Amino acid sequence: MKQKPLHVLLVEDNAGDARLLREMFGTEQPGSFQLTHLLRMSDAIIHLGKGGVDVLLLDMGLPDAHGLDTVRQAHAMAPDIPLIVLTGLDDEELAADAMKEGAQDYLIKGQIENRALPRALRHAIERHRMQTETDLIRTNQMQFKDEFLSHVSHELRSPLTAIYGFVTILLDQLAGDLNSNQREYLEIVLRNIKQLQSMINDLLEVTGIQTGKLQIELQRTSVSDAVEYTVDTLLASASAKGITLSSDVERVLPSVCADPTRLRQILVILVDNAIKFTPASGVVKVQARTLEKDPNFLTVEVSDSGCGISPDMTERIFERLVQATDPALAGRKGLGLGLYICKELVTRLGGRIWAKSVPGRGSVFCFTVPVFSLSNLLAPAFKREKLMGSPITLVVTEIGSQTGWLSDEVRAEQSRGVRDLLQRCFHSDLDILLPKMGSAGAVELFFIVAITDRIGGEAITKRIREQFDDFEHTQRAGLTLLTSYRSLEAIKRNTNEPMKDFLEKAATQIQELLNEEISLRMVTNG
Amino acid sequence: MANKKILIIEDDGDVRLGYHVRLKANNYDTFFAVDAIGSLREARANKPDLIVLDLGLPGGDGFVVMDRLKTNPQLAVIPIIVVSGRGGFANRTRAQEAGARAFFEKPVDNDELLEAIRKVLGGPVQLEKAEFLPGPKRRKVLL
Repeated sequence: MKQKPLHVLLVEDNAGDARLLREMFGTEQPGSFQLTHLLRMSDAIIHLGKGGVDVLLLDMGLPDAHGLDTVRQAHAMAPDIPLIVLTGLDDEELAADAMKEGAQDYLIKGQIENRALPRALRHAIERHRMQTETDLIRTNQMQFKDEFLSHVSHELRSPLTAIYGFVTILLDQLAGDLNSNQREYLEIVLRNIKQLQSMINDLLEVTGIQTGKLQIELQRTSVSDAVEYTVDTLLASASAKGITLSSDVERVLPSVCADPTRLRQILVILVDNAIKFTPASGVVKVQARTLEKDPNFLTVEVSDSGCGISPDMTERIFERLVQATDPALAGRKGLGLGLYICKELVTRLGGRIWAKSVPGRGSVFCFTVPVFSLSNLLAPAFKREKLMGSPITLVVTEIGSQTGWLSDEVRAEQSRGVRDLLQRCFHSDLDILLPKMGSAGAVELFFIVAITDRIGGEAITKRIREQFDDFEHTQRAGLTLLTSYRSLEAIKRNTNEPMKDFLEKAATQIQELLNEEISLRMVTNG
Repeated sequence: MANKKILIIEDDGDVRLGYHVRLKANNYDTFFAVDAIGSLREARANKPDLIVLDLGLPGGDGFVVMDRLKTNPQLAVIPIIVVSGRGGFANRTRAQEAGARAFFEKPVDNDELLEAIRKVLGGPVQLEKAEFLPGPKRRKVLL
């Protein structure tokens, strides 16, 4: 059977080097290779986009890309195509770096021996195939492990429910009177059921974290509410141990950008831990305040008067399955996952968690949460790979619920307010967005348009779209259009559902914030 | 006043009996179904005031049961409380969207379940949102 020729894409701007390579291919058996030669990275990207390339031979010094950047661009465009870089004699170090960036091999120009070229190409393809296979096996194994854990944890819940059901039936004497010994023993059973359930919950949470199934919905969140909830929830178990549980939250705290459920979860784990590790008549306290050295964060502290942690453990306790093992603290059991979950959650919320402790005198667990701002809320959107391909997000939203006639002054005030606000919002994301959009006119390309009526919204959207379409960079990047008007469809050219949800929610919050900002300005300016 | 009737849809026999004893002690009459088909039959025959529904069932899961109940105007109005081993955001949201009045992960705390039942049977009052929240609320059950 005749083999299909290998399609080689050679990207090399030096005519001499290119000729040499072409000659080498010329000595191969006819029909074994099909060579496409391009001079520029931009052309190579377009060619790769069309598909059909089996292996890429890439010079690392091109007119429109240089060094490792060539490899990164090529790899980003076509991660599934084996890549060999061409380097100069004195560039072996660079070539080694290129391999770390995803190149399978390198060839030194002028040093390519006869017959070495086809061998290198075939090796690169084979190496790439093996790598892909290994990755796939590893992913499958991880997935199997997580699915297995998740399945087992779920299945454990039914028998646990039956055990819980009947133990509480006995304890509540629905099946007859109990003597004091029977009651005591059944309470021990119940305590252990609770322990087991909490372990199953932790296991499920951790498998969720590892499979990326952890749901985090960032929104404007009140820390005081979360603290209040936590104290309410755990007050009973604290008093049962004779522990004073209190909170001290600054009266005027800015809201944070977090998931309220997750924030409560973090606090419940920390406070519950504190109660477990604090002896009778001890104190557990929750505090929240703005961080002096960085106003962009709030800090929350859970302190206790418990046994404390030795200094060498204050970092390790956030690892999986690690517990401060003190034999004196018998009676506490757990998988050692609580603080690991906390750390994962805090990190996902964009904060940091740490512990301070003096053994014998108690511990303080602190974590930070970003103060609410639009850039915090939207930043993850721009970091998502899916959106990186189309980095221009146009958010069209409606400000104010005013209908009818507005004076020019009011309109001018509104647009000033909006402009100021938007500048603040997106400043921090510009470094992510701009390099992808080329240098010319980049700042002007990124808009949020806020308008007061629907017809105006559609007109402005259309106009901006036309301008965008005129510009080469934006044309290639595509446009994510988000609008609060149903008639314009929530987001066009974006089929990614989770992204759509996310942006829709963001739009609502932008709208709320804009409204707030505008009314504030109206008040300030009389 | 006659006792309120609760239909328990749950495939685990021990869990079913546990519910029965607990609910009977609280003056509720109970009926049972162990799968999707039986659920519809029992619901039609006994016209329960409330359904406690497990999600993992043989022959069509709890969501299928909810869908089928909705096709019959008389059964569509019966309030449903989901108690399931399948937790998680997705199931919770889906149950809520399907019209469930409360969602609990197994094992549900007796007091919380009874309170939810009382609230649902008490009238068309919406349950507090907190009962749909995962994590801490659920933890509270057994911490």
